[in-house]
Amino acid sequence: MAGFVGRRLLSVVAIVWAMTVLVFGIVHLLPGSVAHMILGEFATADAIATLERRLGLNDPLWLQYWRWFSALLRGDFGLSLTMDRPAGPLILEALGRSAILAGISIVLVALLGMALGIHSAVKRGSVEDQVLTIAQYVFIAIPEFFWCILAILLFASWLGWLPATGYTPMGEGGVLRWASHLVLPVATLALGLTAHVSRMVRSSMLEALDSHYVLAARAKGMPERVVLWRHALPNALLPAITVLAIDVGLLIGGIVVAETVFSYPGLGRLLIYAIENQDLPLMMGGMIVVTAAYALANLVADLLYALLNPRIRYGGAA
Amino acid sequence: MAEQPLLDVRDLSLRYPGPRGAVRALEGVSLSLSRGRVMGLVGESGSGKSSLVMALLGLPGTGAVLDAASMQFDGLDLRQQAAALRGRRIGMVFQDPGSALNPAMTIGAQVAEPLVRHLRMSRQDALDRAAALLTEVGIARAESVVRAYPHQLSGGMKQRAVIATALACEPELLLLDEPTTALDVTVEAQILDLLDRLRRERGVGMLLVSHNLGIVDRLCDDLTVLYAGRVVEQGAAATLLAAPRHPYTRGLLAAVPRADRGRMGRLAPIPGGLPDLTRPDPGCNFRPRCAFALPSCAAPQALAPQDGRLVRCHRAEAVGLAPLPGVTGAPPPPPRRPSDAPLLIATELTKTFRLGRPGLALRGGRLALRRPAELRAVDDVSFHVARGEVLGLVGESGCGKSTLGRMVLRLLGADAGRLRFDGQPVTDRPAVEFRRRAQIVFQNPNSSLNPRQTVEQALRWPLVRFGLARGAAADREVDRLLELVRLPSSYRARYPHQMSGGEKQRIGIARALASRPDFVVCDEAVSALDVSVQAAVLNLLSDLRDELGLAYLFISHDIGVIAHLADRIAVMYRGAIVEIGTAEQVLSPAYHPYTEALLSAVPLVGSGGRAARRVRLTGDASAVPDGAGCRFAPRCPRRIGGVCDTVPPPVRQPAPGHRIACHLPLETLAAIPPALGEAA
Repeated sequence: MAGFVGRRLLSVVAIVWAMTVLVFGIVHLLPGSVAHMILGEFATADAIATLERRLGLNDPLWLQYWRWFSALLRGDFGLSLTMDRPAGPLILEALGRSAILAGISIVLVALLGMALGIHSAVKRGSVEDQVLTIAQYVFIAIPEFFWCILAILLFASWLGWLPATGYTPMGEGGVLRWASHLVLPVATLALGLTAHVSRMVRSSMLEALDSHYVLAARAKGMPERVVLWRHALPNALLPAITVLAIDVGLLIGGIVVAETVFSYPGLGRLLIYAIENQDLPLMMGGMIVVTAAYALANLVADLLYALLNPRIRYGGAA
Repeated sequence: MAEQPLLDVRDLSLRYPGPRGAVRALEGVSLSLSRGRVMGLVGESGSGKSSLVMALLGLPGTGAVLDAASMQFDGLDLRQQAAALRGRRIGMVFQDPGSALNPAMTIGAQVAEPLVRHLRMSRQDALDRAAALLTEVGIARAESVVRAYPHQLSGGMKQRAVIATALACEPELLLLDEPTTALDVTVEAQILDLLDRLRRERGVGMLLVSHNLGIVDRLCDDLTVLYAGRVVEQGAAATLLAAPRHPYTRGLLAAVPRADRGRMGRLAPIPGGLPDLTRPDPGCNFRPRCAFALPSCAAPQALAPQDGRLVRCHRAEAVGLAPLPGVTGAPPPPPRRPSDAPLLIATELTKTFRLGRPGLALRGGRLALRRPAELRAVDDVSFHVARGEVLGLVGESGCGKSTLGRMVLRLLGADAGRLRFDGQPVTDRPAVEFRRRAQIVFQNPNSSLNPRQTVEQALRWPLVRFGLARGAAADREVDRLLELVRLPSSYRARYPHQMSGGEKQRIGIARALASRPDFVVCDEAVSALDVSVQAAVLNLLSDLRDELGLAYLFISHDIGVIAHLADRIAVMYRGAIVEIGTAEQVLSPAYHPYTEALLSAVPLVGSGGRAARRVRLTGDASAVPDGAGCRFAPRCPRRIGGVCDTVPPPVRQPAPGHRIACHLPLETLAAIPPALGEAA
């Protein structure tokens, strides 16, 4: 098990490193000069050349990469070009706010997805199951920005129950106000993914319920409750965990959309801002952080998978 | 004074309502079983054997409609009490131990579960008892097996664990659904011994579902023959197997290829298939397939006593012992001499598989390159197949026989060794002409036929691919192929799901024959089929050999099938051929000790479980580490000593063409008594 964790950690490090190369490469292959961006449209050629020298933009690419990468290792993300402040704290603060959004959403998705999936599998073919199935397909098929807009129209503009946009720190307006800003983004983020996860849980649960070991458990005289929770569920959860890990990627994409629509000051909106304003250090830093978060989420999923699956925990046949 | 039977079922019927009408899985089935006795339940797949077992457990499936005059277990009504009895007083053993054990639970937890539940034992007591149970069913190191997960055990050990679970609460009745079908023959013999001991020592009553009449003969006191949901014959097992009366029972027995009979010419398949169970037939439902049917058979038939058993056939007495038509005109074939010119010569073929991937591993705090483990699936194997000859290849699962079959077709590249076909060397990427002349038939027709292709498309493609025929000529060729495998021309428009297993396998054979090959590898080509269908396909294969002069490499784990069809036999153990020779040479002494064990493990019909001598191997083939010496040495009952572990065995030649790789001197090998009863 220790070797397994070690190997997985190594691969996370390798993925994040490969991403730094990729991000750096893409940014520096893009047309346009950094100095030009900083000084604006009307800068003289002379001023640009001076700034390029000062920033080391004429050095070979590998040296520039090394400078950026080694600073990254020290936790230095460079200076934001547009805000003229260190990018690191900006990213960190936005990351914290996005993490709240993502964390609540993913927990909600996992719990709700499993509960609904198990429920429809046990009641297979019933009216409930059929209604759930239709709802699941509707939520999988329609993208989240539609629900974002619908939610704003319904709950913010028409009913006026919740604020449409913005964010209040917990210290300023109390827990309730802080939470009121989270409800709509979390709900719209979680809806589609819950549908997706519950669909997967349903099919893997059905497979487990049709398996011979479940039949064998019934033949042993186990009551239905034990058959369900001890025999079927642990096996049905394995594919669900894999799907959850993949959905973290979808969630990150969804957060960018939701934060933009709800004007929520998280990492997604920061990234959009950085791209729109060609703030390269902010953009590169943000992308690395997103990659690292995704890789770590997958690591957690892998470890959870191994924990539930003795085949991985104990290797091959004895 | 009649003792109350342990299990007493009267007039049990089971229906599954469906859109096309109810499927009548069981109709008026009655049986009764006393303590300590074993009743066999035989019939083709679809005859209702498993439905009956599940109905007894109270688990007939959703929507099932059950109806019975009486269904009693020790005086208790199973219709109400089954749920309380199963796992406690009725134990169940399933066919495939691989899927019957929960992969996410330890063996100990699964064996102990019923103890905690039904006997209210504490968890620790139950685990201790589980270890004791595992020891009792013959698992060594039970204390560590208790903590193991199913994937860490071999197939035989898993089935022992399943049996231990079924025995946990000391049940009085054990239901066994094909308990050894998924196991190798040497492991099967171990499990049968175990069941026999349980019956004798514990007085457990057993209901044994099996398609293997040899196993039934070995273990059962009584026998019930089911056909399409009805009991057609019922009585003492020895009586029924020695002198069956119902045409169906007689057909089943005549269709089995038998290891102890050798090449007996043609088998007698039962023509046709099971009737449509949604259409009730008040008369004898076997009559469309029966050789002795008369118009009067359309009247309802009763299960009536005759010759000390019950038979559901009003003609049984009249027909008496008249031979089955398929068997009558079958004189042993003239001794065919396959030509001596070898068609295919394999020399020193070797294939090694890497288990897992190379990678980095933390060892002692340092990163080190981890070399993956290696498995020599095929190790230095040489043999030849002559024109028109059938070389049978036997061995247990994992011995490398399928790998070898694919290697001689170059479907799988060899790491070393040479291959010659018709005098020409065959390279790793063979010419189109070799592909045309050497074909393969796979085990499972369900996965080897493309579900989206009609029969015609499947058969036309090789014709086009090898430029043999197109247009109207291809049409005629498809017809010829269908005729060759005895299927009507109307089948050309069918998709695989519209055919039965036997019909699909015939299409698989027709597809292999489309390119007019000289050599066909049959990889367990009849293993998935019912005996009646298997007999038809075996007859077809031997006819094709005689008509077209085909040569086969016939791979099978079933020694009966091999003995029936093969001219020569090669016995494989862990990647190497340990013995090769003509069928007569291999099936009679001198034997390789492994061949001896393999043959003596085969349960034969007619031996009544009184086989003179059994050689029992312990463990299974997978538990043996690779060493420099004989790979069979760790399990060998005739092991001499250290020399077997360290020195590769020499090849002995008791007769020209008969080779045995063993350290024992020839005189000792020749002195081994026959292992097959009256050997061929």
